[in-house]
Amino acid sequence: MFLSNLVQKAQQLIDPAALPGPLANLTTASSDRPSKAQLFRHQFRLPDTQNPLYEITAELTLPSKPSNRSSGSKARTYQPHPGAGTAKNWDSSNWDRTAEERGTHYVGQLHISEQFLCFSTVNTTFVSTASTSASSAFTGRTHGTGPAGDGFTLPLCAVRRVERLHTQSHMFALAITTWTGQDAGVKGSEAQGLGSGNAPPKLTITLEGSRLQCERFCDGLKKGLRQGMREVENMRVVVAECYSEFFSQGDFEAETSLAVDTRTGADGKEIKPPDTGLGTLFTYPGNTRKLRDRSKMRLWHEYMRDNGRNTTLVRQPDFHRLIRVGLPNLLRGEIWELTSGSLWLRLQKPKQYEETLKKHEGQQSLAIEEIEKDLNRSLPEYAGFQSSEGIGRLRRVLTAYSWTDTEVGYCQAMNIVVAALLIYLNEKQAFYILSTLCDRLLPGYYSQTMYGTLLDQRVFESLVEKTMPIIWDHLQKNDVQLSVVSLPWFLSLYINSFPLTFAFRVLDVFFLEGPKVLFQIGLAILRINGEELLDATDDGTFISVLKSYFARLGESAHPKSENAKHRQITNFQALMVVAFKEFEGITQQTVSEQRVKSKPGVLEGIEMFAKRTSIRNLGPESKKLSANDLGFLYDRFYAVLYERQQRAQMVQAETERRAKVAKTKATEVVSGISTLAPEMGRVALGAASTTIMSYDAFREFLAGVAKWAVTDSPSSPTKPSHEENGGYFNSLRNRNVLTATNAMREWGTGPEPADHEFLQRLFGKWDSEDVGGLSLQNVVSGLAPIKGGRDLMGVIEWFFELYDDDSDGKVDREGILRISEALLFLTRRGVEVGEVEGGAGVGAVGGEGQQSRDERFLGAVSAFIRRCFEYADPDHPSRQAEKEVVEATDLLGLSSSSSDAQKDAGESATDDAMLSRPSTNTFGQTTPASPSPSTPSRNNTAANAALDPSSPVHITLPTFRMLVLADETLEAFFDSGFANSFHLADAPLASSTITSPSFLGAVGQASASASSAMGTANSSLGGGGTVSPASLGLPAISPGGAAAGVVGPGKGLRGVLDNIVTDGMRVAAEVRRRMDEAQKELDRGVSGRTAEADDDDEEGEDMGDLLEGAEADAGGSIRSGRSREASLLDEEVGGKGVVGVERVGSNLSKDTMFER
Amino acid sequence: MADSTQAAAAPKPSSSVKLVLLGEAAVGKSSLVLRFVNNDFQPNKEPTIGAAFLTQKTHLPTRTIKFEIWDTAGQERFASLAPMYYRNAQAALVVYDVTRASSLGKARHWVAELQRQASPGIVVCLVGNKVDLAEGDDGPDAEEEEGADGEEDGQGEAAAAAAVKPAAVKPAADEGAVRKVSTKEAKAYAEEEGLLFFETSAKSGLNVSEVFTAIANAIPEASLKGGRAGANAAAGAGTQAAIMAGADSSKVNLNAKAGGDKGQEGCAC
Ligand SMILES: Nc1nc2c(ncn2[C@@H]2O[C@H](COP(=O)(O)OP(=O)(O)O)[C@@H](O)[C@H]2O)c(=O)[nH]1
Ligand SMILES: [Mg+2]
Repeated sequence: MFLSNLVQKAQQLIDPAALPGPLANLTTASSDRPSKAQLFRHQFRLPDTQNPLYEITAELTLPSKPSNRSSGSKARTYQPHPGAGTAKNWDSSNWDRTAEERGTHYVGQLHISEQFLCFSTVNTTFVSTASTSASSAFTGRTHGTGPAGDGFTLPLCAVRRVERLHTQSHMFALAITTWTGQDAGVKGSEAQGLGSGNAPPKLTITLEGSRLQCERFCDGLKKGLRQGMREVENMRVVVAECYSEFFSQGDFEAETSLAVDTRTGADGKEIKPPDTGLGTLFTYPGNTRKLRDRSKMRLWHEYMRDNGRNTTLVRQPDFHRLIRVGLPNLLRGEIWELTSGSLWLRLQKPKQYEETLKKHEGQQSLAIEEIEKDLNRSLPEYAGFQSSEGIGRLRRVLTAYSWTDTEVGYCQAMNIVVAALLIYLNEKQAFYILSTLCDRLLPGYYSQTMYGTLLDQRVFESLVEKTMPIIWDHLQKNDVQLSVVSLPWFLSLYINSFPLTFAFRVLDVFFLEGPKVLFQIGLAILRINGEELLDATDDGTFISVLKSYFARLGESAHPKSENAKHRQITNFQALMVVAFKEFEGITQQTVSEQRVKSKPGVLEGIEMFAKRTSIRNLGPESKKLSANDLGFLYDRFYAVLYERQQRAQMVQAETERRAKVAKTKATEVVSGISTLAPEMGRVALGAASTTIMSYDAFREFLAGVAKWAVTDSPSSPTKPSHEENGGYFNSLRNRNVLTATNAMREWGTGPEPADHEFLQRLFGKWDSEDVGGLSLQNVVSGLAPIKGGRDLMGVIEWFFELYDDDSDGKVDREGILRISEALLFLTRRGVEVGEVEGGAGVGAVGGEGQQSRDERFLGAVSAFIRRCFEYADPDHPSRQAEKEVVEATDLLGLSSSSSDAQKDAGESATDDAMLSRPSTNTFGQTTPASPSPSTPSRNNTAANAALDPSSPVHITLPTFRMLVLADETLEAFFDSGFANSFHLADAPLASSTITSPSFLGAVGQASASASSAMGTANSSLGGGGTVSPASLGLPAISPGGAAAGVVGPGKGLRGVLDNIVTDGMRVAAEVRRRMDEAQKELDRGVSGRTAEADDDDEEGEDMGDLLEGAEADAGGSIRSGRSREASLLDEEVGGKGVVGVERVGSNLSKDTMFER
Repeated sequence: MADSTQAAAAPKPSSSVKLVLLGEAAVGKSSLVLRFVNNDFQPNKEPTIGAAFLTQKTHLPTRTIKFEIWDTAGQERFASLAPMYYRNAQAALVVYDVTRASSLGKARHWVAELQRQASPGIVVCLVGNKVDLAEGDDGPDAEEEEGADGEEDGQGEAAAAAAVKPAAVKPAADEGAVRKVSTKEAKAYAEEEGLLFFETSAKSGLNVSEVFTAIANAIPEASLKGGRAGANAAAGAGTQAAIMAGADSSKVNLNAKAGGDKGQEGCAC
């Protein structure tokens, strides 16, 4: 299908691996490797602004804390390195190798981004030379730690001091004091035990690398630290909303009630606990005793005392274990923020939530309407959502998000997820987590097409097939579709399926470990219920088996066991064990790989569905076109929009690449769903940001279906390469050479469209709602009257109306000229009359027979212009005419050929009742309105009459019809030629036809010479000082032609052709000139003819303009557009150029690298 | 024809029929199902994720049909999930709202979609819901109106039990009348496409159980799961024949009262 092809093409075009960039220099290479940067961000859950700037292998040493804990220390038995841990106080001043031995050691990789210092025991490297697997190691098994492993993710603004330690060896060792250690600094010793002022330890990091590497890393760190100082205030505001700040102030053991009281801060002020969600107001779900909430709090209190909190928290194995057993109510939200990375988002844009709400206050949208409908059915069983407080919070979070991400807006299920989040989080926190969910954790789930949801269902099914083939076969045999059952699990993160307390347990792990958790839980559900499911043969039984299982999640998994311990194990615990032990092998990588495999099928399915839907909704007019044509138009329409979007994005991507900002959000390695530029805009991804065609897109669209819509004078600057490749279709295989130029070319790989007044009129007519853009329906409705069956009279009328600007049934002099020009424009590449058979013969343009037809056509248009003025009606009233007009048409036999015509004639006659027509209009008989004595022929007389500005003229539809029907060439054009010129499904325009320049070149030449002839002719006329009416409208001799070097008659057929064109246009030019002249005279109130020559020159230019100028203009604007782009690029580059590393003097204190 | 009041007695062969509801948001799909399953009408409190699943039995003289109903979510973007639900459905209710013209357009779309994409034998029933609004059920003037009950009434009289007197189009005071889709238009369309057709009110209950009975009757024996259909199964009624037969049944008074002997089960997991 076309979109897939496009995606492929586009992917080739900007394959990030093909982008050039220095390999060794991390500081500059990082952004050239967007995928590396994305991997980095995914591992540490960092915002899109972060890039891996420096990295180095390092060892993190954490002191073992004195084990003065009373009870809750059970969970903390694990020591990664044997022999670690003594009670001795940590003291950096006498740091030495022996001191280093004490404590807990982690070897891993240390990274710096613009704003973060990250350490992880999951060894990943993001240097440009690293293999993909080395950069994505975190997507494999992480043993419960989540992608970031043990270590820390430290915003640089949270670092208070960095000391370079004196070591006995030659190693670089740094001691980092975080801001949560500050209080300790003020308050002093750890001897106070659990009381306030407990300081988390310094982080001691030994860098392992060459001296140069280490120094470079330290320089990078220094620079980042300095910049980080600017954000300290932000951070204080942000962490103030973390419960841990309040929590850490008190002596845990002394507290009786955790939630409601206030505490005394370090400065003696009363501190209120921050908002920890609706739970504090309406109680948290579940029985806190049974959940052992208090012991969990104690464990966390200890953990945070030893390992820092919120922004400064260090992840040790206990951290992950404490999450696995379920988070305590008051800390749940905060840990979610931390593990999901939404805290960093909040840190980055702390005011976004309030500002968004404020900005859009009072505004309405579809999303808001939909949100309103669902507010009352979002966790209605929870007391908080039976109150206006809870509903209000839910409304505000969903609304704010719908404004920040208009592509997602609002999707049902978000209400349930957000409602659940709001039990533990305040509005602001929920808002950022929702953002993280939509962008990272559940990509495409809630999008317009919900492709992510469908994709993951397919992935889940394939995992079931792989891991539980027997169940899978059973489902297949009984025609039970698994995804209808499992879809809500994923879409609502089990919140709508599990009893709430268990759903939150799943969320705890989900935020830490990522989307793979959803799959693991799902698989475990099926595994555990396998036997019962094998008895189910329909959706109903299948669902009720699972439903009853979910209801029993809190019950004992082994109720009959002898062993009391076993009896205590709940179904939920058993589920967790199966999910994370038995399905441990289901990693993020497994999921990503499967997503990549399933994606084409899923996207295609969605696109086919979208296409069917769209085509069925095109309105009644669309019935006139065949299903094939509609399908064709759909494809063409979206292909143009899509390609244009691609081009725009590639330009942008290029800009950004140069500006060292990689904006793309995810990679296939991490998510399996690439949001790299080439895929954006794909219908199935719901990212087609536009369904409306601008005028330029419309031109491009037409150029793909009609030959006349292709320009005669391409303006592309990349001409040489085009020629090399034979035409304008660049071979994508040459992408290495052409990538950039192709992407930047305004018209992509297609032919450059023409610009002509006719196109503008057509666009305006099709834009029936006058919105300045065309929907597919507009295009279809616009084409229907032309293509929808042979309808000669209909097309003539349609054409007439196109030029009847004020819809008064009359086309004036100007319009007549424009019609003539349009006819020449439309037929300049030949006319295909009659039935077109299967696209064959379409390319026959330029053949001998064709040529004579074309010639005939040019003659016909020329004659048409003359006749128009001959039969034009003066605008001045004098009754009589209607009847005669009708008679006139009757004379042509119209009444018999078309009753419609008769009717129309009648109608327009009625419309014009108050207007008059001179009696001169009866067919075949002319009485000049203002006879000129020197008229050499009747034609000229008529023309002159028409030219007399004191008697403005017009033609009516009947006249126009008569004139068309009077000429069989024109008649054939309106009968079939015009319709045939639009090549839809049945006779698609072979791309080669568009560019095969056999005739095209000639026409280009012809029109070029015509316009120059015009100039010459006019100036020669003007030069003569007088305009002899006799010289007007005489096609036979072209006064200036030969002299001006225009192809003369001597040049054979070609020359004749040119002359005809020239003549036709000269008539038009002269008419126009005379009109303008006369107008000027009228304006001036002067009757004398002066300065004619000057005017004439201008006229010449004007004429050139008519046929070509517009295109030249378009070319001009394209060119200037390009240069604007170029300068944009330059600017960006210049602007971002300062990102380089500031070299810091090496004379800085070796003891304290940084302090604030 | 069918009279489910006689059911209950002896165990009859029973088979399940997967039925999917499709239609524009807020036309009353969930309300119809709720009326059918619980004989109740109330604001929907169930959050629907993807589709809600409910079951209900209908007793025919010769067999019992257990409907497995997938009530698809209302939001437009969920439409692309619809194929998942109609894929192996044996029956479909395509619902529109008689007071909203656009909803019939959407219904036409779904009909076309089903005809093209769903299993070939699928029984499709077009349902115009909310006739209570159109017929001035609780409008002040509605009762006074007489005579002019032109082409508007559809199967209204059929359910005499339901206290709805088919009234004429609302008086001109409320210009642009409440009803936006005439019975005639929808019926003509249904006939053209070979669909069952009913006008219903989930609010009053009018015609709701009739819809399901007609569908049950229209399902070809052959396509029933388990294949152990009654001995006196109609001799291989083709789909088309079944559909036509079903269409006729709408004219018969099938005042099967929802409730009583119906097994109920709802789930929106
Ligand atoms: N008056 C009237 N209102 C109805 C009827 N059926 C549904 N509604 C109302 O229409 C709205 C949408 O109903 P719902 O069943 O949620 O529609 P769905 O989106 O198609 O499932 C609700 O407010 C219902 O109370 C009906 O037969 N008559
Ligand atoms: Mg619903």
